[in-house]
Amino acid sequence: MSTAANPRSWIASWRQRLWRIAPADPSVVVLRHRRIYILPTRRGLALIATLAIMLLTSMNYSLALGHAFTFLVAGLVAAALLQTYRNLAGIAVSPLAAGEAFAATRIAFTLSLANAGAARHAISVTPRAGQSIGVDLPAASTRQVQVTLLAPRRGRIDLGRVTLSTDFPLGLWRGWAYVHFPLTGIVYPAPEAPAPRLPPGLEGSDFRRSARASDAELAGLRDYHPGDPLNRIAWKAVARGAGWYTKQFEGTGGSGTLEFDWSELSGLGTEARLARLAAWILAAERGARAFSLRLPGTELPAGSGAGHRRAALTALALYPSE
Amino acid sequence: MRSVILAPASASPLTRVQLVWLAVLILLAQLPLWPYVRWWIVVAGSGLVAARMLLPAQLQPPARLRRWLLPLLALVAGAAIGWDFGYLLARDPCVALLYVLVGIKFFEAKNSRDGAVLACLSLFLALTQFFYAQSIFAAALALPVVLVLGAALAALRYVSPPTQWRAPLAAATRMALQGIPLAALLFILFPRLAGPLWGAPADTGARSGLSDRMAPGSISELSLSDTVAFRVDFIGPPPPSAQRYWRGPVLSHFDGFEWSTLARLRAGSFSGPRGRPIEYTVTLEPHNRLWLFALEQPAALPRPASDDPLFIEGPVRPVAALSGDRQLIATAPVTQAIRYAQRSTLVDRFTASDSDRADNLQLPRRNPRTIAFARELRSRAASDRAFIAELLDWFRRESFVYTLAPPLLEGDTVDKFLFGARRGFCEHYAGAFVMLLRAAGIPARVVTGYQGGEINPNGGYMIVRDSDAHAWAEALIDGAWQRFDPTAAVAPSRVERGIGAALPQGEPVPYLARLEMTWLKSLRLHWDAVNYQWQRGVVGFNVDRQRDLLRDLGLENARPWQIVGLVAAVAFVWGVAILGLARARQAQGDPAAALWARLCRRLGRAGLPRRPEEGPLAYAERAAVRWPQWSEVLIRLAETYALLRYGPEDGMRGQRTAALRADITVLPRSRRLRAITACE
Repeated sequence: MSTAANPRSWIASWRQRLWRIAPADPSVVVLRHRRIYILPTRRGLALIATLAIMLLTSMNYSLALGHAFTFLVAGLVAAALLQTYRNLAGIAVSPLAAGEAFAATRIAFTLSLANAGAARHAISVTPRAGQSIGVDLPAASTRQVQVTLLAPRRGRIDLGRVTLSTDFPLGLWRGWAYVHFPLTGIVYPAPEAPAPRLPPGLEGSDFRRSARASDAELAGLRDYHPGDPLNRIAWKAVARGAGWYTKQFEGTGGSGTLEFDWSELSGLGTEARLARLAAWILAAERGARAFSLRLPGTELPAGSGAGHRRAALTALALYPSE
Repeated sequence: MRSVILAPASASPLTRVQLVWLAVLILLAQLPLWPYVRWWIVVAGSGLVAARMLLPAQLQPPARLRRWLLPLLALVAGAAIGWDFGYLLARDPCVALLYVLVGIKFFEAKNSRDGAVLACLSLFLALTQFFYAQSIFAAALALPVVLVLGAALAALRYVSPPTQWRAPLAAATRMALQGIPLAALLFILFPRLAGPLWGAPADTGARSGLSDRMAPGSISELSLSDTVAFRVDFIGPPPPSAQRYWRGPVLSHFDGFEWSTLARLRAGSFSGPRGRPIEYTVTLEPHNRLWLFALEQPAALPRPASDDPLFIEGPVRPVAALSGDRQLIATAPVTQAIRYAQRSTLVDRFTASDSDRADNLQLPRRNPRTIAFARELRSRAASDRAFIAELLDWFRRESFVYTLAPPLLEGDTVDKFLFGARRGFCEHYAGAFVMLLRAAGIPARVVTGYQGGEINPNGGYMIVRDSDAHAWAEALIDGAWQRFDPTAAVAPSRVERGIGAALPQGEPVPYLARLEMTWLKSLRLHWDAVNYQWQRGVVGFNVDRQRDLLRDLGLENARPWQIVGLVAAVAFVWGVAILGLARARQAQGDPAAALWARLCRRLGRAGLPRRPEEGPLAYAERAAVRWPQWSEVLIRLAETYALLRYGPEDGMRGQRTAALRADITVLPRSRRLRAITACE
């Protein structure tokens, strides 16, 4: 066999199996005994040490009931291990969506946790460099979990290895499993702040009106999509528990199409130009004005709307750095 | 569905619910120790727990004082216990210290890390009760500790509403039950030690029983107790009551008031006339003393009891040695119930050794009237034997009364007893008799032990109680020791039928020693039989019993690693079984869902897992594309399942479930399905 003949690849495959270093997991990962690790927690170690002392005492004083008592508690601890394992085994994890975010903010990735069996409790989902999210999975249910990473700079960002862990039910054992999906999010350049003046449009600029866009009239609500600006989220609805919605405003923008051109921003560095362009794109969208974008090697025809904005920001995010 | 909320990090303060669980755990661990520790320990250790739970917030010590509370109070408690006991580094003061420490720690506990420490401490405290008692009752008191420990650990980690106190307890109970097979296996197979690992556990707890001294009143006091001294299983029929003299401490030294054993014991040997040997097994309750009891004359050294009386394996661990005055002296104080097999001969004579004569003639210069009477009687008798017969006849003739309530005598007690009061218990008669013999120049000594015993009809073993305690005499005549029982001369029924028959009406005979068989006594005997089984099977499960059991299992030659391998294998099977049971239980809810889950597992293993968002029909269509030859069955399966799951509630359920099951049976196993995919 090729794996046996080549020790390096054999070691690599074991490293992959043990630590899931490469993002090589398929679209659904069912957690099984091959993936699940269990070790005692500090609390568990303390209890096991206590049991060891109790056993020594029972041996020294030849206390038959002392042995029985110690072993009974040991049986409880062992059963807790099985429960911890059962709490994790059989969960089907799949990647749902990678979010988008501006540099120096948090980027969200959505995973789906499906539970075909009995209820599971207190599963922590932890990305490699981020906060853990706790989730309960009732019997035969599916839950979406958003984990967030800090996006330090523009470009692509990998979700990386995610750890699912639990110490349910007694906090004596910690079971965990790694999943590593090839899930990549896009980080846009941080927009320049304060937002600079928009360049003049093709049919005359109307910057003052667009700048007032933030107090434009509310047109309605639509479903929230990951990546919608925070100030557009209908926080009152969220607070009521009605769900996540994004506010849409009446098109108050000017009639002219804006032209954002890389080459017109001479005198600035690459990142500064990208920041300026990002700020403009946001301002244009806020003013509901169509815009076109021209970068060296990339050209976006005039357009508007969320898809257009995303395409433009993505082009900025992936612009090769110097 | 109960939602479980993760408790905050370990540095967060303890909640009320967590405190309640910990308090219950600690009190359950402390409660069994109440009879065995000093009253002020109980007040301090449990009072602090109560104070934390009951005192209003403004009376609790402020947070900045709590840091100093634990070391300060612990120091005070340590000093107080050291002062009370006079020493600190022994078992009992350490138990007392731990008892108080748990209370102090609870009083100042801040966060859930303190809670975890408390859980461990109280677990160990719960173990210490077995130093003092290993009865069925003690075991029953320890069980709730295990369950509440599980609930407290769960409460320390997960927040649950205080009203749902049953749920964590039920979960802990389930886990404890699941752990029982593993616990039983470890109990049976974990190697037991023949002796202690470190310093002998030599705390001598005070327990009533025979002692190495006998003053007037000491045995009659013992006779008021129903406590079991030991139990005996005879191989063959037990001897008649009059021959059941259980030999204990032999008292050769007399100071005029009190009899005591010789300061230095010589080694003895088995010699003298051989009689019919009788075999039996004694289960001796702990008495913290060195002597073991054997019937009349021990014919061999006791050996560790084995279930199989014919089984004798190589060199046997010595249990005891024989002294020159035929006492069986154990190698260590009997602090645990022990079982030993014993062989005796039922003879009342045995050969004396050379030094016996000198040891047993000593007489203090008191009781002049007794000495004069003995010398006068001896001068009229033809021989030592005639003198003793005359003496016993004198006891029988004169108006002696056998009673548990003799008058208190002072000064020349023997004179006053023999020629004044004439009311006494066996120690009065045996002591006076031996003194009369010594005064007449005949070497004699007092033997204490038990006489009689009662057969328990439930289980057919013999119970010997403290109320059977007895004292009799031995005289050295013609180079051999001969047993005489002056009590039998005064009250013959004492040795024939027991103390209940011998004492006059109105005497405070212990309940179980009375002759009439009431329902209460019968109940007590049933209970004793249960206790005896417990004692033999559980408490008495030691290195010897374990060896017997391993032999019965065919494992006597197993190497340690084989035993470890066996435990590991059984533990593995146990784990798989528990997890399988859990899966079976959750599948019981809806047979259709279980069948569908089975199908999904099978297809998943064959390389086509169901996507979480996929419904049954979509999944079946995807599978039908992969395995076209099974498409019909797959689509039908999905449709049936969808109908069962989401369709109307009609009378077709059973039929549809059966169809579902049939279709799944038709479908090939996952390995074959995978092979079909690979071929294409």
